[in-house]
Amino acid sequence: MSAIGELQRLSAAKGSPPRKRDNKAAFLFLLPWFAGLVLITAGPVAASLLLGFTDYNLLQPPEFNGLENWTRMLGDERLHQSLLVTFKYVLISVPLQLAAALGLAMLLDRGLRGLSFYRSAFYLPSLLGSSVAIAVLWRQIFGAEGLLNQLLDLFGIQGRGWISDPDTALSTLIVLNVWTFGAPMVIFLAGLRQIPAMYYEAASVDGAGRFTQFRKITLPLLSPIIFFNLVLQIIHAFQSFTQAFVVSAGTGGPSDSTLFYTLYLYQRGFNNFDMGYASALAWLLLLIIAAFTAVNFWAAKKWVFYDD
Amino acid sequence: MGYSRRNMLGLGAGVVAASALAACGSSGGDAGGEISTEAVKLRFTWWGSDARHKRTQQAIDLFTKKYPNITVSGEFKEWNGYWDSLATTVAANDAPDIIQMDELYLASYAQRGALLDLGTAAKHLKTDAVDAAALDTGKVDGKQYAVPTGVAAYSIVANTTVLDQYKIALPDDATWTWDDLKKIGLEVSKASGGKVTGVQSWGFETGGVNIWARQAGAALYDDAGKVAIPPAVLADYWQYLLDLAKQGIAPAPSVTVERAGAPLDQSGTATNTSAFGTWWNTQLTSLATASGQKLKLLKVPGNGQPASAEAPYLKPSMFWSVSSRSKHPAEAALFVDFLLNTTEAGDVLQTDRGLPSNSTVRTAVTAKLGETDKAASDYLGSLKVGAAPRVTPNGASGIEAILKRHTEEVLFERQTPQAAAEAFIKELQTEIDAAK
Repeated sequence: MSAIGELQRLSAAKGSPPRKRDNKAAFLFLLPWFAGLVLITAGPVAASLLLGFTDYNLLQPPEFNGLENWTRMLGDERLHQSLLVTFKYVLISVPLQLAAALGLAMLLDRGLRGLSFYRSAFYLPSLLGSSVAIAVLWRQIFGAEGLLNQLLDLFGIQGRGWISDPDTALSTLIVLNVWTFGAPMVIFLAGLRQIPAMYYEAASVDGAGRFTQFRKITLPLLSPIIFFNLVLQIIHAFQSFTQAFVVSAGTGGPSDSTLFYTLYLYQRGFNNFDMGYASALAWLLLLIIAAFTAVNFWAAKKWVFYDD
Repeated sequence: MGYSRRNMLGLGAGVVAASALAACGSSGGDAGGEISTEAVKLRFTWWGSDARHKRTQQAIDLFTKKYPNITVSGEFKEWNGYWDSLATTVAANDAPDIIQMDELYLASYAQRGALLDLGTAAKHLKTDAVDAAALDTGKVDGKQYAVPTGVAAYSIVANTTVLDQYKIALPDDATWTWDDLKKIGLEVSKASGGKVTGVQSWGFETGGVNIWARQAGAALYDDAGKVAIPPAVLADYWQYLLDLAKQGIAPAPSVTVERAGAPLDQSGTATNTSAFGTWWNTQLTSLATASGQKLKLLKVPGNGQPASAEAPYLKPSMFWSVSSRSKHPAEAALFVDFLLNTTEAGDVLQTDRGLPSNSTVRTAVTAKLGETDKAASDYLGSLKVGAAPRVTPNGASGIEAILKRHTEEVLFERQTPQAAAEAFIKELQTEIDAAK
């Protein structure tokens, strides 16, 4: 009774074996995609793994340097700063974003008029959120003379340069990410629609309040969807780049307060001609994301409830 | 703002290139050979503003009229995106033939073999009309990898309209000191009630720190390319900037940081919200256009020490260089020669890339300059300049980012000037060592 359950059922289902002629046509149609995968994705990915063990400055041929890139990470203070910034960003923005998504989804699920309008309106930010245009807009809103400060000024509050102050710069990016709650919201909404109304009816007959219903019915039945969103959004947040790049003009500043991991990787590779190290960093990010996902899947056994 | 999808695609491209790079070959042509009479296609890349793009395209048109068998296609970008894309095209063995180069990146590209030794193209590219000291700034390891297009000097741009408005006398820039700048800046901030700050803070580019070091008899790098600025000198520098912010002479740090990242026309000088600002003298025209008020170039204040007198220097605004993998090095050199040595090109390009380094062209051009361009030219003439600082060492091309970050740390009081100075020197040295 859930999207993931549905998927599992579908993949487990066995259709009749397709005829060979169909196979050929399928392979033919797959070819462009497959060529793209090998040439544009898999090839470079494999190359970057190799480059991770080299000293490569983009202009001269790479030189093998063993584990040097990897041991260098231990003493790289800016790398540690970028990890700190990224973890903060992921651990704060993802729960907030999911809470906002779930809250809005539940509100919309109560059968508002014009639901499809609201659904689109709330979904829009997640299409725009990682775009350059929005990041530029963000800079205008949270700048020292930006919209927010003009608004605060009306109430006699002295604002500050939210984006140019290292104490608040990351928070503005977290707000930006939370604002893109539309994608998980739509998935939540679909999930909520799957919960049979009779559970709630039975619960109200038994005298359960709204909060109890939420805790005892909504949360457990929705847990596979929550899990799905959690995994997806964590991976997504780890890969955030555009927002910080545009808002800080590529520097990760002020004073490295918005130095996302991917931004640091980019700086090493393209500003410092340090592509070998940057490649190793890319693989470290992969390992970190894989570890987070693994922990998520492990923890899921304790709280995710599949009713089938 | 130089971000585009290309940047990230470049990440993939760079990696793909890596696998193909093992076979990076030598240059296809002979830089000292005859100019081809067959059709030749050259690619030419530069960064800059719209005004520069138009002027440069005019110069290209003049060249191709003169040499009809050579076509030159221009590829221009904004500063930040420029270096990202240059790095990737060079890595992909697809570098443009003629490259506009900056002092910060010169050694990084030259020592990695990406640039042609222009000495080998002397037959087509003459450099004898360029001042020897200026020419030296384009040398790396004794080889002429680049030719300066023009020169610029560090200066203070003062808004005399604002000073008149608050009845504050213009300081005598022949004798003034950093303390005088503080004093007069404070007067402006007070008189305007904070609407106009006395000084626009700086500390985000190398000009300011170079001058400060030279006034103290030190230098950013020694001849061997090691970081040589004493921590105490650098700490003084940041202490001064911190004082400006704390005493209200300069805007609040967050405003300063924001402006530092914004284009020229949003700066304190251009928006008439700061009475004094540090700039390269050749930026006067752009600033005056944006400001609409009266701006005047002043000499940088001294610190009272004898070294102060020799501290000013001529910075090569930018360079012409040729890719080492160009298939037509002779024709590329010929094109650079045209840009550098002909008054036809000089008349079109004017002072956009600094006051022309070729003395003949400079004389021809200065006769026709507008008011602010003339002021910039006169300013250079009034300076007593010392030898230019050593070219930025290989690996240190990211110095401005490191400088900016530490200035921020100081302005927001996350680090003391002393701690920031030590951290800065250590980090910059690490980058240089890593590039060897």
